Amino acid sequence: MPLRLVFRNLTNHWVRTLLTIGSLTVAVFLLCFLRSVLISIDSAVVSSASNRLISQSAVSLFVTLPLSYQGKIDQVSGVAGTTKMNWFGGYYQTQENFFAQFAVDADRLLPNYPEIEIVEGSIEAFVQNRTACLIGTNLRDNYGWKVGDRVPIISALYPRMPEGAWEFDVAAVYHSNRDNIDNNTLFFDFDYLYEAIEADQADGPEGVGVLAVGLRDPGDAEKVSAAIDQLFENGPQRVQTTTEAEFQRQFVGMFGNVPLFLSALGMGVIFAIVLAVLNTMLMAARERVHSVGVMKALGFVDRKVAALLVLESLTICLIGTTVGILLAMLSEKGLRASPMGVFFPGYRISGGTVVLCLIGAVVVGLIAAAIPASQIQRLRPVDALRSEG
Amino acid sequence: MSEPMIQLSEVTKIYTRGSEKLVVLDRFSLEIEEGEFAALMGPSGSGKTTLLNLVGGLDAPEGGDVWVAGAHVSEMEGQELARWRADTIGFVFQGFNLLPVLSAFENVELPLMLTPLSRKKRREHAEYALELVGLKDRAKHRPRQLSGGQEQRVAIARALAMDPKVILADEPTGDLDRASADQVLDLLEKLNREHGKTIVIVTHDPSAASRAHKIIHMDKGKLGRIDVNPVAVAGS
Repeated sequence: MPLRLVFRNLTNHWVRTLLTIGSLTVAVFLLCFLRSVLISIDSAVVSSASNRLISQSAVSLFVTLPLSYQGKIDQVSGVAGTTKMNWFGGYYQTQENFFAQFAVDADRLLPNYPEIEIVEGSIEAFVQNRTACLIGTNLRDNYGWKVGDRVPIISALYPRMPEGAWEFDVAAVYHSNRDNIDNNTLFFDFDYLYEAIEADQADGPEGVGVLAVGLRDPGDAEKVSAAIDQLFENGPQRVQTTTEAEFQRQFVGMFGNVPLFLSALGMGVIFAIVLAVLNTMLMAARERVHSVGVMKALGFVDRKVAALLVLESLTICLIGTTVGILLAMLSEKGLRASPMGVFFPGYRISGGTVVLCLIGAVVVGLIAAAIPASQIQRLRPVDALRSEG
Repeated sequence: MSEPMIQLSEVTKIYTRGSEKLVVLDRFSLEIEEGEFAALMGPSGSGKTTLLNLVGGLDAPEGGDVWVAGAHVSEMEGQELARWRADTIGFVFQGFNLLPVLSAFENVELPLMLTPLSRKKRREHAEYALELVGLKDRAKHRPRQLSGGQEQRVAIARALAMDPKVILADEPTGDLDRASADQVLDLLEKLNREHGKTIVIVTHDPSAASRAHKIIHMDKGKLGRIDVNPVAVAGS
């Protein structure tokens, strides 16, 4: 009966109940999204390899390094090997089909990035064919590409002349088992890019964006990065070498203090939810004064009558939260497949997020019910019965 | 000699509104025996409903003692008072006071939730109470689907569900037409005569009062005269 009474009270004002549940659903969806984005941002940092450094221009990430630097860095004591990583900034057919492309040393990519596993095709074909490319499983799934397909990519940074589009042959498909590399990236041979620029078949900045530096011993990271920076202290281009984690952190930092911004947004959302549910419960309590008087007259103790209102608040919060979580889970695949997915490679609604939202729902339910429940608890039956029925 | 079922001794009730103090019951004393059917009459503001609230433990007096079925009601509070109310008193209100979100059956079953009875037993009790008021076929109807008279009969069934010793009815026919009012009064009379319930009703209706064994007249918080109704006494 108590549950039936709670259900009947909720459905008695079903529009209000649905609106409150709806606002909770949207808010919880937003919270799940924000938290998952934060985790995603953090996961790129956390999952960064400890045995890799990134060398970039000390001026800016947008300034390239001379190609000659790679050979010099290879000679630094403690360096296991390097690979170029050059941002290509292209898209497939329309600008909405945006994803990351990197020009790399085809033969050095896998030795430096063991987290990349070839799941279709062969790495040999990727290394041997100048126009070959290596695509992530998400690109395969989203665009239906398969090994052997020819893929045209248009780059604003490196415009191809005269055709406009670069042609890449899919040689292999990879899957990354760490979040620092997403499955939404296309890798191709840097030489293909370089030779086209040299032959005036393409335009774009010379040099290389960053160099990924593999270490023999992760414990030497500080020593090796200092040695690399020291090497180019007198130019022509000064170098800043950091761990991969620090590089990721700085990259995210370019957009401002995103975690702080998102956390503040999340706190605002939580505050709004509390107010929305509190308002609903205050209205419910006000309408139910007479019924409360009747129940107390029948012999229901104050605590029991108040508990019904708390139960009602918790029901609203848990339903809204559950629907919000389910919607967030449904959006997971869509977001990862969308162009936005490039920025959040590790985006997923984790078990921790689900548990946190459910705990949050209980806390919000209790907070929102506290004031109206205490008002109801304090009501004397004789006063409650005098109110409008 | 046995104890009276209801005993009020020197009861004073004062309402305070701002700086104004209104004495609603002034050193009021009264006794009602077990199995009696009593009607409280008097002009508005004479303290009838207040008296009923004090007897039912819905309100507390500023002075004096209220005893009902051997319990010192004016000394009880909180959980103890709520529990006692559930066990001893059945309320019937002028506005029926059924919960609009529950069906007739669920309204009658509601007070039974306070007992350790099994679901099956609760069902049996509620069905019996509805049968007693002649509304078993309306069990699934919501209050708004019932007439005023039917609503009041459901309210009486709810008051009966816990098998209370005392039924307190505050103008139970006030919102009803004559035919419905008579049905409700017949029912109260039957409960008193056949089931031995002690009944106290507040009424302005002489016809309703004529069903009572004794009519207690109140005025300005004081006891007026008490009329004994020989016809009703003889019929019981």
